Amino acid sequence: MSDVSVGNGVVVDCAGVSRTYQEDAVPVHALRGVDFQFARGDFVSLSGPSGSGKSTLLNLIGGLDRADAGTIAVDGVAVNALSESELSDLRLHKIGFVFQSYNLIPVLSAQENVEFIMQLQGVAPGERAERAVESLASLGIGELAHRRPGELSGGQQQRVAIARAIVTHPVLLLADEPSANLDSGTTEELLKLLRRLNDDRGISILTATHDPMVMGYAKRRVVLRDGAIVEDSAN
Amino acid sequence: MAEAVAAGDAPADSARPLMPAIAWRNLWRNRRRTWLSAGAVAFAVGLTGFAMSMQAGMYGTQIDSATAFFAGHVQLKRQDYIDRSRFEHTIDDVTTLVRDLESRPGVVAVAPRVEAFALASVDDRSFGAQVLGVDLERERRTVRFFNRVAEGRMAEQPGEVVVGSALARNLSVNVGGEVVVLGAGKEGGVAAMAATVTGIFNTGMADFDRSLMVAPMAAVQEAFGLGDEAHTLVARIADVDDSREVAAALNADLPPGVVARSWQAALPEISQAIEVDALGGVLVYAIIMLVVAFSVVNTFIMTIFERTQEFGMLRAIGMRPGTIMGMLQIEAFFIWLLGIGLALAVAGPVVFWLSVQGFYLGEAMSELAGQQLFLPDRLHAKVNAVVLLTSPLIMLAGVQIAALIPSLRIRRLRAVLALRAE
Ligand SMILES: Nc1ncnc2c1ncn2[C@@H]1O[C@H](COP(=O)(O)OP(=O)(O)OP(=O)(O)O)[C@@H](O)[C@H]1O
Ligand SMILES: [Mg+2]
Repeated sequence: MSDVSVGNGVVVDCAGVSRTYQEDAVPVHALRGVDFQFARGDFVSLSGPSGSGKSTLLNLIGGLDRADAGTIAVDGVAVNALSESELSDLRLHKIGFVFQSYNLIPVLSAQENVEFIMQLQGVAPGERAERAVESLASLGIGELAHRRPGELSGGQQQRVAIARAIVTHPVLLLADEPSANLDSGTTEELLKLLRRLNDDRGISILTATHDPMVMGYAKRRVVLRDGAIVEDSAN
Repeated sequence: MAEAVAAGDAPADSARPLMPAIAWRNLWRNRRRTWLSAGAVAFAVGLTGFAMSMQAGMYGTQIDSATAFFAGHVQLKRQDYIDRSRFEHTIDDVTTLVRDLESRPGVVAVAPRVEAFALASVDDRSFGAQVLGVDLERERRTVRFFNRVAEGRMAEQPGEVVVGSALARNLSVNVGGEVVVLGAGKEGGVAAMAATVTGIFNTGMADFDRSLMVAPMAAVQEAFGLGDEAHTLVARIADVDDSREVAAALNADLPPGVVARSWQAALPEISQAIEVDALGGVLVYAIIMLVVAFSVVNTFIMTIFERTQEFGMLRAIGMRPGTIMGMLQIEAFFIWLLGIGLALAVAGPVVFWLSVQGFYLGEAMSELAGQQLFLPDRLHAKVNAVVLLTSPLIMLAGVQIAALIPSLRIRRLRAVLALRAE
């Protein structure tokens, strides 16, 4: 586990990662020396009580936040050493994000939302549209392409967010409580979808969740408590 | 893998860049606020545009009455006459020069004038007077002054003279009376001229009415010992706004010692008065635009505050702060466009109507203007490139800067915190 830091098989390699928030007078140790490796093609659920550091770890891996100690390598790139704009590019090109909410640009249709990220990447317009349509269709929401987020249900919105996240072929899909706002039926559909993307297309998925159902669909379960990994097991 | 379940056809406009679309649609998330901002821009641009067009019209009228009434758009004199006003500093071969000048580009008509100081006497009353010798036919093509007298008719033949109303009163002379003019001739001899008063003019301007007498140029030349000479040539040009350019062009080819001056140079007190007035206007316009710019700053502070989470998400998916700021700049540009559209729709017709119909100066003013000042009784708005472009372009800069200032904080926006702020 500790001898591989960069390699084809490892998408994420965290070594001794700590993050302490100093917002108030009392420091909050959100992560305390986490070692964590993520193999390409894996589907990992990150669970644990509220405040255990799940979101913090996801944000550090996604380059949205910086660790105070330790190293994080994403696809062989040491994230700690990157500048702000390099981090932007890392997020744009290598990582797909799905959040609990506020995923989509409200004034753009589903298809435009998916196209938008490709526009940021500089993909040609024709190809953009083609890939967006394809991506939405593959998630079963092709017929909703022209609706805006406000005209979609929560589950449909999350599908659009996933369509956007995977359309750029990221090395890693990070999902922070993607099902928190969904009912159990919709959650199950979403999970089947994620699992299918993982099985069929080999998309690497790391998702933070409270939901036992999510853990059931993942291939590997990592449990955090007080900023440290307390359990790591294959499903 | 359910590939292409329902591969909906790509919309035809998929090549359209998404940023302007986002910016435009964002405006309509809060219609009221957008219309308020655009309305403020329209107010500033419309009001300043309207005021500037009226100002331009007023200045145009002032310049016109100062130049086309009597002084001409361009004046030619000998430099030493400008400096010392000595009677003998005359321009020679005036007949040829006038014809030559009238053939120059932009010049419509040229009128020569002899300017002499003399003592005008009727019986035992004597008053100092300026005797102007004019070529009446040319003057009428050049300025308006000679088109009309309050009483009688213009002096057309040698031995005839028209007199200002106050001077006539002082001399107690009426139309038909005799005036004797005595002065110093060019060679130092006595210049004498007796003439019948054919008309009395009343301009309302003391300088004219109190001391001016106008007689045919040939008679004045002969009485004062001048040949084909004159002191001043006044020119009418095609467009008074070109006065400086035409004067400069004339100066390239004039007899030695003679200079052409634009009306601004010949009548500095008028061009300075206009400049001072215009400066006052600029201050007022600047304040209006500043107030509006601040209201736009306010709009963007609110917009950015409300969309913090959205911006956090955009940062998270890899959009750079500069790109987000660029999107807000496009939004500001659209607000400006809406404002300009509104301003054109509301202020445009008013200004157009005022430029065609004019603004009636009122009963008393129009009487004064028409009868005494020879001014039009209506003030017309004047629309030119300066009026049309100045305030919109300044407002554009104002709006873009107003949007930029609050959006600078996007550079420091932490995606994590923005997304947490639910
Ligand atoms: N920006 C921040 N400033 C201060 N403290 C923070 C910040 N972000 C997280 N924390 C703290 O760090 C700890 C870990 O938070 P984190 O959001 O990672 O937990 P989590 O496991 O995702 O919890 P949840 O299940 O509720 O989402 C918590 O105690 C939290 O209060
Ligand atoms: Mg969390």
